Amino acid sequence: MATTIKSLRRGAARAARRYGIFFAILALWEFAAKSGLADSVYLPTLETVAGALYDLWVKAFLFTHIMVSLTRVVTGLAVALCLGVPLALLLGRIFPASFARLEALLRIFALVNPYCLFPLFVVFFGVGETPKIAVLAWVSLWPIFFSALSAFKNVDPILVKTALATRATPFSLFRAVILPASLPSVFHGVRLGVEMSFFILIAAEMTGATAGLGWIIHNAGALNQVDRIYAAGVCVVFLGVALNWFTLYLKRGLFFWDERRDPFSTMAPGGARRPVGRGRLAIAVAVFLALMAVGAWRIFEAERLLNDPSTVHEYHVSRE
Amino acid sequence: MNFYRKYSCVLLFLLLWELLSRLALINPVFFPPLSAILQTAFQPPLSGTLPEALWASLSRALPGFLIATLAGVPLGLALGVAGGSLKELSAFPLEVFSQVNPFLLFHVLILFMGIGEAPKIAIVAWSCLWPTLFGSMNAALSVNPSLIKAGRAMGLSRAGLLAKIVFPAGFPLVLASLRLSLGYSLFMLIAAEMMGASSGLGFLALNSQETFQLRPMYASVLVIALVGLALDASLRLGGRLYRGRLPEERWNSPGD
Repeated sequence: MATTIKSLRRGAARAARRYGIFFAILALWEFAAKSGLADSVYLPTLETVAGALYDLWVKAFLFTHIMVSLTRVVTGLAVALCLGVPLALLLGRIFPASFARLEALLRIFALVNPYCLFPLFVVFFGVGETPKIAVLAWVSLWPIFFSALSAFKNVDPILVKTALATRATPFSLFRAVILPASLPSVFHGVRLGVEMSFFILIAAEMTGATAGLGWIIHNAGALNQVDRIYAAGVCVVFLGVALNWFTLYLKRGLFFWDERRDPFSTMAPGGARRPVGRGRLAIAVAVFLALMAVGAWRIFEAERLLNDPSTVHEYHVSRE
Repeated sequence: MNFYRKYSCVLLFLLLWELLSRLALINPVFFPPLSAILQTAFQPPLSGTLPEALWASLSRALPGFLIATLAGVPLGLALGVAGGSLKELSAFPLEVFSQVNPFLLFHVLILFMGIGEAPKIAIVAWSCLWPTLFGSMNAALSVNPSLIKAGRAMGLSRAGLLAKIVFPAGFPLVLASLRLSLGYSLFMLIAAEMMGASSGLGFLALNSQETFQLRPMYASVLVIALVGLALDASLRLGGRLYRGRLPEERWNSPGD
């Protein structure tokens, strides 16, 4: 009994240390909005934001928008992975000499802002989802490519020589030496890419989309519905934190030996209590595929709502 | 590596672009030849607006980057050497705030500051702050602890410890994070200028997009990429000059 209370108390103290400042900031927000320190039109109270969140969910298809945003990020990322990793393998391992020549060109490509080329993307990919996904893929391609490239190039040569001395075939060299040695770095690039493409996604949805969280914020801004800006903003932050935690969870489980510190987290590297085994990985993949399926369905749903005269008003304004 | 070898592919690419477009092997409406783009860039309407737009963009990106650097590097280094309790207190709020999207912030800041230069500089500073802060923190964590202990033993103050030991020893990682955040600054700024501005390279690109003038669009894309290259090169040069002044062997610096 006494030990239970003690451990509960210790847990509570830890939670207070971990989340204390965050809740203090929320309390400060509430206080500033309530007391009129900040204009309550521009800084709505927390309960107003919660109300707007509920309102968005019930009346304005919030779930659809969340799924649309998520699906876009993940699809862009998948495309970037499918392009970036083989390209890095090709240039880093198979033709390392030609990379030295190509490097300057690729560094310039990485600096080309896909936003500025949006009309070209539209010309080549049409108007629907594809140009947006192409922008996201372009954005996340470069961090993935460059970190994968440096990983492939920097595989410890002694390991490679040892493997070659045992007459490893190129395939088994790749599977048993190069891949395990460079996967942590590839994943590091994926995390950079997720971060970057989620930032850019919101901007892309604000400028040229008819669905997604960025679109809600933009639309709410145009209609002067301040509480909805904040409500959709809460969703964006929540989704960002969730994505970050999910990739961090995978990283700590799959690459627990990776000593590299993380660019978007204060957590110490490595040290998962239990590595992610096959079972948990299978569950993660299944959840992921289910999310993608729901997302794809929701993208069609958003299109339908927008084109149906009986729902289009609700879709855009939905205040009543 | 000599200059020719390094840039031969760039030259080849530009030459190929010019040729394919001139021979109409790729559609010259969508891919105008490079010479035509340059010609447009140096002719009156654009030769006036392009430098102006460049200046407008730089006067937003650089102050934002500078603010983020001045705030993020000391704060990150201090958090890196701080005790466990401060780290534990700050970890969750930092993670949440780092996920506050700059464009979301843009819409909120417009409410408070109105449409002007301030919100644009603020979102550049915000998006640069996080890679700088986390990167500097990791840099401080990777510093050889015996150096820090030695500094403490010799009676350095906290500020002295940061300036004399942690910063020089963690410098390569700090520089890497600054390069990342400089890239972010241009990226976010261009998007912000496309969303709500009446000047700057992003606005110029958007404006030529909307009127479907592809040559000015390509010209602004080229200028943006060149500016990014130049800024990155100058940051690297600055880093090399600074490192040249350090007694290299003594620092045992990691990650380079």
